[in-house]
Amino acid sequence: MARTATVDTPPEAPGTTAASPAPVARSKRDIMRLHRTEHRWAATFVAAPVVGYLLFTLYPIGFAVYASLTSWTGLGPMRFVGLENYVDLLSDEYFHKALFNTFFYMIGIPIGLFLSLLLALALNRKIPGRTAFRTIYYVPVISSLAAIAIVWQFAYNGDFGLVNQVLSWFGVQGPDWLQNTATVKPAIIIMAIWKGLGYSTLLYLAAIQSVPASLLEAAALDGANAFQRFRSIVLPMVRPVTFFLVVTNVIAGSQIFTEINIMTPTGGPEFSSASVVWYIVRKAFKYQQMGYATAMSIVLGILVLVITLIQFRLNRRNSFAID
Amino acid sequence: MTRRKLLAAAAFAVAGTLALTACSGGSGDDAAGDGDKTITFMFRGGPDEKAAYEAAIAKFTEDTGTKVKVIVTDADQYATKLQAAVAGNNVPDVFYIEQASLQSYVASGVLLDITDQVEASGVDLSNIWEYGVNSYRFDGEVQGTPDGALYGLPKDVGPFSFGYNKTMLEAAGIPLPDKDTPLTWDEFVAICKQLTVDKNGDGTLDQWGTGLNVQWNLQSMVWSNGGDWTNEDHTEVTVDTPEFAEALQKFADLTNVEKVTPSTSDAATLDTYQRWMAGEIGFFPVGPWDVSVYNDLDFDYDLIPWPTVGDGGTATWLGSLGIGVSATSKHPDDAAKLVTYLSADPEAQQTLVDANIQIPNLIDVAEGWATEEGAEPANRQEFLDIAQDYGRAMPAAFTYGAEWYDELWTNIQPVLDGKQTAEEYLAEVQPKMQTLLDESIANAEQAG
Repeated sequence: MARTATVDTPPEAPGTTAASPAPVARSKRDIMRLHRTEHRWAATFVAAPVVGYLLFTLYPIGFAVYASLTSWTGLGPMRFVGLENYVDLLSDEYFHKALFNTFFYMIGIPIGLFLSLLLALALNRKIPGRTAFRTIYYVPVISSLAAIAIVWQFAYNGDFGLVNQVLSWFGVQGPDWLQNTATVKPAIIIMAIWKGLGYSTLLYLAAIQSVPASLLEAAALDGANAFQRFRSIVLPMVRPVTFFLVVTNVIAGSQIFTEINIMTPTGGPEFSSASVVWYIVRKAFKYQQMGYATAMSIVLGILVLVITLIQFRLNRRNSFAID
Repeated sequence: MTRRKLLAAAAFAVAGTLALTACSGGSGDDAAGDGDKTITFMFRGGPDEKAAYEAAIAKFTEDTGTKVKVIVTDADQYATKLQAAVAGNNVPDVFYIEQASLQSYVASGVLLDITDQVEASGVDLSNIWEYGVNSYRFDGEVQGTPDGALYGLPKDVGPFSFGYNKTMLEAAGIPLPDKDTPLTWDEFVAICKQLTVDKNGDGTLDQWGTGLNVQWNLQSMVWSNGGDWTNEDHTEVTVDTPEFAEALQKFADLTNVEKVTPSTSDAATLDTYQRWMAGEIGFFPVGPWDVSVYNDLDFDYDLIPWPTVGDGGTATWLGSLGIGVSATSKHPDDAAKLVTYLSADPEAQQTLVDANIQIPNLIDVAEGWATEEGAEPANRQEFLDIAQDYGRAMPAAFTYGAEWYDELWTNIQPVLDGKQTAEEYLAEVQPKMQTLLDESIANAEQAG
């Protein structure tokens, strides 16, 4: 890019200018003008994302922080109440429950990563029809979450559902998954793992394939068996992918909403499936407590930020220095 | 293409995108040119309703020359979208409004007082269900009073009636229930027991007496037992009374003691709704919005009054959805015209009624409709009786928000599962509901 660009950018190296002294005096102004235009264009381009950021990120954040300090219904004028919303949050048992549920759902993250690593290892072998398998596992990723949630809602139905039908072949009487405080969270976790499997597998597959074959061969020559090679070579080499997946999954997981809202529109029996974002939406749009809902979203945002920072801190010793 | 042209084109594209995003916030009601008026109408509903309303609106445009831009959403997205429109200062000129949201929308200055426009239009309000019209009257303190200002007109009233599978009862040789005398609770349970059978002898039940949903069906039971959610002026939560507890206990007992309903731990009606439609359920609620679907079923059904738990007389709720005008509308008179048209124009009403999505809003039309030859269900009069005589407002219809009311359902599952008694639960939940109601009253005072 840099090389082709010099074709019509003015020469800057003193050597080149010296080589053609005659037009220098005249073109200096031209160069200045040219630069000015270029600067303007550069500024325009830099401004676009900056303006976008100010308009669509910084302003909403600032507005949200202010809104969280008001008793705003989301409709009319805002009335400043200071930290009242945050104080109320401390004693709001539903918020605590939603927070607990949200983090409980994250149990699915390590399980999902483990399964997708296994799957990636399997798909990395030369098995017949592996392209078809890769596609099959990726289909849930590109499907609409709402459609998937509806399908799973039917599957979990206590009387007609596919899950209990299958269980009944083995003589097991399945529960009414989504109507039961004990099973509703695992049910949603299973669905979320299934939905995310293809994406993680794809990334793991790419990472596994980028492990240098020479390393594996050398280890094999030294007498390392398949498990040892996996443990000491493949696993460390895919660690950056694991880190990436953990961070992005935690952030996405803290915002879980659609599955909950479709599969358990009332937040589940005894609020046992409600997530924080689900509770925020309910407070903001059903009960018109936009100020309070905003305070919750700020708290959630801070929690996610802190968790992400901790993850980066923990990961520091694992990162390779690149010169 | 030279680099500079490329740059220019790219920058133009970026600027264009920004300009577009900036614009889309404020358009909507400024689309109207001189003499060519366009108003926006936002509502919710399924495909049937959408088609019926579009037909009615096309006629309105033909008659008045006012164009109407329709925005329709799914029922569960409606509140979110409307509120986003309000927050974005882009309120549709005409939109649906729920009874429980009316006060907060009025207090926030979103809804227009259309009393004058409605009067000027010459609509005979006494020919529309009184309950429906009064639902949208608000004098700043009490909603539903006859002398409050009008902040909307009813789109419809929704009498929540009770029905039975006529084919099933006849097959079982059970005498059909009387259409005017409500069944007593014991009679109702006795019939349900007769209907709950294993028809094919495979050891599992495949037909049940009934299958009710606590959130929509408990009202009838509590009211007919003389209980209620609050005192008369909506300031005190009264769910911890013996009448209330008895009704809730009887509701739970249908499943746990009498065993006349399917599925032990099911709070969502999905199953029983499907089973009713499959002809496996004897008694089931019927709303006017169900009629277009139920009329296509393989069995005959008809309406009866709700069975009574105590001696409070048969009782059920009468819902309503209103149509209001935005306070910031640039064409308030045309917007109000659309409201009166949809609510009270005989021709528009006929279009909506023919689509089987509601009962007629106009009382004289409704009377003809009820006695129509070969009508299905045969006892349509029951809907009108509820609308006219004994239907009651939902407990949260006239309070500032419904959070206090929803609190009752949140932790009710153990009662339905028979793990906790109704009395115990209600004693627990009453103070929580009271706190929320107090908050809502405080909010109302602050807003008003």
